[in-house]
Amino acid sequence: MSATTVGAAARPDRLPSLVALLVAAVLLGYLSGVPDGWGIVLAAAAVLAAALLRQSSADAVAAYAPVPVVVVLVVEAVGAPVGIGTEIVAGLAGLAFLVWLADDPSRPVGGAARSLGTVAVPALAVGIAWSSALFVPAGALPLGVAGGLLALTLGAVALLLGRPTVFDREEA
Amino acid sequence: MSAGPERRLRWRPLSVLLLVGGALCLVAAVLTRDPVPLFLGLPLLLAPAAAAVAGPRSAPVVAVDLRVDGTGGDVDFRGTVASGVEVDARDLVVEFARPPSLAGDTAPGIVRTGREVRFRAAWTAPEPTIATIEPPAVLWRDPMGLVEREATFSREPLVVTRYPPEVLRIGPVQLERTTPLPGETRSRRVGESGEFHGIRLARPDDPPRLINWRATARAGRALANEFDLDKTGDLLIVLDARPTPLGRDGDEHLLSIMRATAVGLSDSFLAVKARVGLGVFGEFLDVVPLSTGRAQRVRIASALTRARLSPVPAPAERCAVSVRRQFPPGLTTIVMSSLADDPAADLAPFLRRRGYPVVVLSPSPLPLVAGSSRLSAPDEALAARIAKLVRRHRIARAWQEAPTIDWENYWSLGPFVEFVRRPRVRRAG
Repeated sequence: MSATTVGAAARPDRLPSLVALLVAAVLLGYLSGVPDGWGIVLAAAAVLAAALLRQSSADAVAAYAPVPVVVVLVVEAVGAPVGIGTEIVAGLAGLAFLVWLADDPSRPVGGAARSLGTVAVPALAVGIAWSSALFVPAGALPLGVAGGLLALTLGAVALLLGRPTVFDREEA
Repeated sequence: MSAGPERRLRWRPLSVLLLVGGALCLVAAVLTRDPVPLFLGLPLLLAPAAAAVAGPRSAPVVAVDLRVDGTGGDVDFRGTVASGVEVDARDLVVEFARPPSLAGDTAPGIVRTGREVRFRAAWTAPEPTIATIEPPAVLWRDPMGLVEREATFSREPLVVTRYPPEVLRIGPVQLERTTPLPGETRSRRVGESGEFHGIRLARPDDPPRLINWRATARAGRALANEFDLDKTGDLLIVLDARPTPLGRDGDEHLLSIMRATAVGLSDSFLAVKARVGLGVFGEFLDVVPLSTGRAQRVRIASALTRARLSPVPAPAERCAVSVRRQFPPGLTTIVMSSLADDPAADLAPFLRRRGYPVVVLSPSPLPLVAGSSRLSAPDEALAARIAKLVRRHRIARAWQEAPTIDWENYWSLGPFVEFVRRPRVRRAG
């Protein structure tokens, strides 16, 4: 029995979001401190691979398209030196990645516009975090706050993954 | 309205990827005391939760309209999914499965207009079949593909029946009239032919007493009276659903063809107001008692849709005993059996000995076997000839007990229709 996804139609290229992701990833690669320009090459290669995987006619293959981008962005962000510019670029790379996800060619056009609400919340969080980093003086306290946040976030992630019904309005 | 487990919010694999990536960034930020991964991790961690909050908070209600058109072997499946105000139709994903007995498009044509998703698939039925098209799964999926939730709608599976078109052109067939069933009350008879039914065009072999002379004079053409007893009769269709040496796949294939054709036969005879009953004999006999009308058509079609191959063979005498308990003797009986082995051929004699005039309609397994052989071309030709001889031998043996029609071209029932139209030939057999 062949299951058929009706949404899998033509796959026109979504250039603006792809370009935004490429620019953000390459910039992060440039700032990541990976020697000999390999950061840029790695970022560009990951975005290119993701774009190619997305064009695949097999849905099972296209589903893996985001993986190289996530891996490369995480690797580059972990190795990047501290800096106000680097921080905002990392945040923007994450947001560009979300917009690129919303521009899925297997879905109807206009995904980026329809997912504005989904992108706005992380964008707000990045903005607040960046302005805090910019204006709050550094010290031992931020590390403690970050540790607390980490524990809280991991707990929230576990809760959300385990009980998606917290978003349901009706009785289960 | 409460959402079932399947209609709750579901995380898609992409959400897990983002959450894992975000968590790694967070851990790396704390371990390396570097805030840069934290900035990357924030969007990744927050996006799934934001998508869940931004979407519908309960199962969205959509209206699904499904339709099947087409004639013969063509199955033109089309449908419309209309979204409510809470979700955008562009975020609806429709997933459905093509029934295994149908062939054709796996990627249907999609048209999205306003608040609707329209889809259309052109399938074909390679053989007569009853196929159940399950209602599609309609999902709301956020544009990023992070979360999804199944939509609510009325779920009624569609049943597609395709059978040889000749069965609908059988025309008036003189069926055996049987005694009334227990509880059945017949109205008082008028004359030897029973109650008056109507007027029809006279046939050359109509006796003068049957001609309605007044009506003939008024109409200017020969018209004859028709009586209930002439018009109606009783028919029993028995399907042999026992396993045979053909194997499960072969048996299921042939049973599917027999089920579809049985629907066609019952349609044809019910259309001329005959009473039709059904028996499906697997391990035991499942019956639909004799009756007529549209309700009976639905009963028979439902029973045939549910009919499955029995895993255990059963003696043919059990079928005959059960039929005798459920149906009056003398009933014209059409037995559908592959006659693939000796026990399958026993059904007709046992029924005949219990007083049922039997006609055997036997779908040949040879077309199925021909395509599945791994022999070389000369060996294949030799095997096909031997198989054909064996089949002829079986049919000839079956003919000794009851008229038997070998049915090789599944889309054509010409020989069978020809046979039932000529009852004299049947008596001679």
